[in-house]
Amino acid sequence: MLEFRLRSLDIFAKTEMPNWGPSIEGLNMDNIVTYVRPNTERMHTDWNDVPEDIKNTFERLGIPQSERESLAGVGAQYDSELVYHNVRKEVAEQGVIYTDLESALRGEYADMIRFHFMKLVPPEDHKFAALHGAVWSGGSFVYVPPGADVEIPLQSYFRLNAPGAGQFEHTLIIVDKGARLHFIEGCSAPKYNVANLHAGCVELFVGEDATLRYSTIENWSKNMYNLNTKRAKVEKGGKIEWVSGSFGSHVSYLYPMSVLAGKGARCEFTGVTFAGAGQNLDTGCKVVHNAPDTSSYVNTRSISKSGGISTFRSAVVVSSKAHGSKSSVSCESLMLDSESRSDTIPAMDIRTNKADVGHEAKIGRISDEAVFYLMSRGLSEEEAKALIVSGFAENVSKELPLEYAVEMNNLIRIEMKGAIG
Amino acid sequence: MEITVNKPLAETFGWLQTGAKRIDLQDKIQNISYVLGPGESRVLFLEDPGASEYEITLGEGARLDMVQLREASGKDLSYNNVRVTCGDKAYFGWYRVVLGGAESYDNCSVNLAGRESSFTANVCYRLDGTEKYDLNCEAIHTGKRTESAISASGVLADKASKLMRGTIDFRTGCSGSVGNETEDVLLLSEEVRNQSVPVILCSEEDVVGNHGASIGRPDEDMLFYMETRGVDEETACEMLARAKIDSVIRKIPDASIQEKIRARVQRGE
Repeated sequence: MLEFRLRSLDIFAKTEMPNWGPSIEGLNMDNIVTYVRPNTERMHTDWNDVPEDIKNTFERLGIPQSERESLAGVGAQYDSELVYHNVRKEVAEQGVIYTDLESALRGEYADMIRFHFMKLVPPEDHKFAALHGAVWSGGSFVYVPPGADVEIPLQSYFRLNAPGAGQFEHTLIIVDKGARLHFIEGCSAPKYNVANLHAGCVELFVGEDATLRYSTIENWSKNMYNLNTKRAKVEKGGKIEWVSGSFGSHVSYLYPMSVLAGKGARCEFTGVTFAGAGQNLDTGCKVVHNAPDTSSYVNTRSISKSGGISTFRSAVVVSSKAHGSKSSVSCESLMLDSESRSDTIPAMDIRTNKADVGHEAKIGRISDEAVFYLMSRGLSEEEAKALIVSGFAENVSKELPLEYAVEMNNLIRIEMKGAIG
Repeated sequence: MEITVNKPLAETFGWLQTGAKRIDLQDKIQNISYVLGPGESRVLFLEDPGASEYEITLGEGARLDMVQLREASGKDLSYNNVRVTCGDKAYFGWYRVVLGGAESYDNCSVNLAGRESSFTANVCYRLDGTEKYDLNCEAIHTGKRTESAISASGVLADKASKLMRGTIDFRTGCSGSVGNETEDVLLLSEEVRNQSVPVILCSEEDVVGNHGASIGRPDEDMLFYMETRGVDEETACEMLARAKIDSVIRKIPDASIQEKIRARVQRGE
């Protein structure tokens, strides 16, 4: 691992900063602390053992409550280390492994992890993938054995509490043949006056006829540079479902990528991005169809308000091997004022005639008639607009478990406060 | 209409496809500017001279329909750069028919600067062999209540490749504007390559922008229907290709130009 880290560091030093997206000039790498040890000796499996200050933070975020009510297991990362990890007994009895990546590297799954670690996202991929390879710490490892069906979701929650710090957790999930999993990722941080950096990495391996749903509600603070990399490889008959809500961060570059490698593999991407004051969120996805009869469906919504900039960027590549493949991309953008900006940049690269690809994009504003109608029913203008925006983002909220959909709608309501005038 | 032949612009070729080297055309480019005064109306029919730049200024209420044909038997390389500025209520219509050619590079950039100015682009192409077509078309909405409609449809066969970038750019202050873009590509061979980048840029709230694209093979139900009527697949595809070209020719607002182009299409077949 040391050799790998040093090689990655070398690649990081040699690779140029990206010059095609939002400005990251405010990110001075010399000021980013790449490892912050939380105030605890080790990772805990009993919530009561977690140090009081860390516990209070997660209590306020409602993590243990969610675990009791709606989750099969929880991992909580505080700064650079996992401080708590637990999985329900009945899920563990199915043979499901859910643990922190670092201890898993020393256990019976070490070979499996080494075989998969940073193979989907090699350090050569881009500058911040290289940085991740060099300084990664924390994160989770999940293995779902063949045929296991994890009915209730697992969740990892990432909290970056230290000012000027970076978080570089690595999530590695392997869902074996015919198995099924829903994994939820949540992130937050308090706001500081200095830049924070999140350069995590998510690698997902979806086996034959397996299904993985990966849901994220990202609410990083507005000083965060979120340069995260997520990628999935899907084998024959498998399915990856991305559900993504991007609300936080100062700058985001986030494009989960799906490689449909086996015949009949499928991908669904459902996303919403809300860019408010001071935010420049460049989000989207990439799908590579590299096997026959694969299909992808991308459905996204972007909202820009109070000078926020949201950019939807996607790429669909259909290789010459992907006979009989189908892809459909739909993106809609909502402009809430003229100070803001919303761009849509989809790309399609089709290299066979035996494929069908469709794309549609729309951009517009909230209809005055809809606001007037709701106000005639007793809602204030602010409430009416918030309701319409929640409805606009329904493609994501209806795909989330109820508790998370409620959280997402609350985030929209908070963002919509002061939207009038 | 005022016509001036100018010195070629120091064109950077920034919009060309990567790999398309700085083509050695700089001193062969002819640069022509057209200025239409208020209320003037013209239909222009231009055949590719190989390398050309057009600077067009349309006064208030002026109307220009520009028809450009690229024949299959034309020069190996075509470079065509059209830049237009529209005054209040001016209209620019661009009809581009590409029937082949080894390498074709088109740019049409229209600044809808005047209030209620409008722009329509109708592009059709038919490429086979190893022909390449690189198209950049942008509608820049700066004036209030401006309208744009970009439509491209074409057929790719053999190892032909095409890259289309269509941009609708709503700038701050262009309130009440509408932009639409559609693309329809028929792929007839396993070795073709189609790249499409339909972009909508928006920094104004009160606008409506739409884009739709459909890329793929001929509809199987339709082919089956044609076969039941005694039309084999090859003939059916040929009919579809001809229909795509003709759908653009039909929109040209001058019957004599329509006939000229139809004759060239038949001659090229």
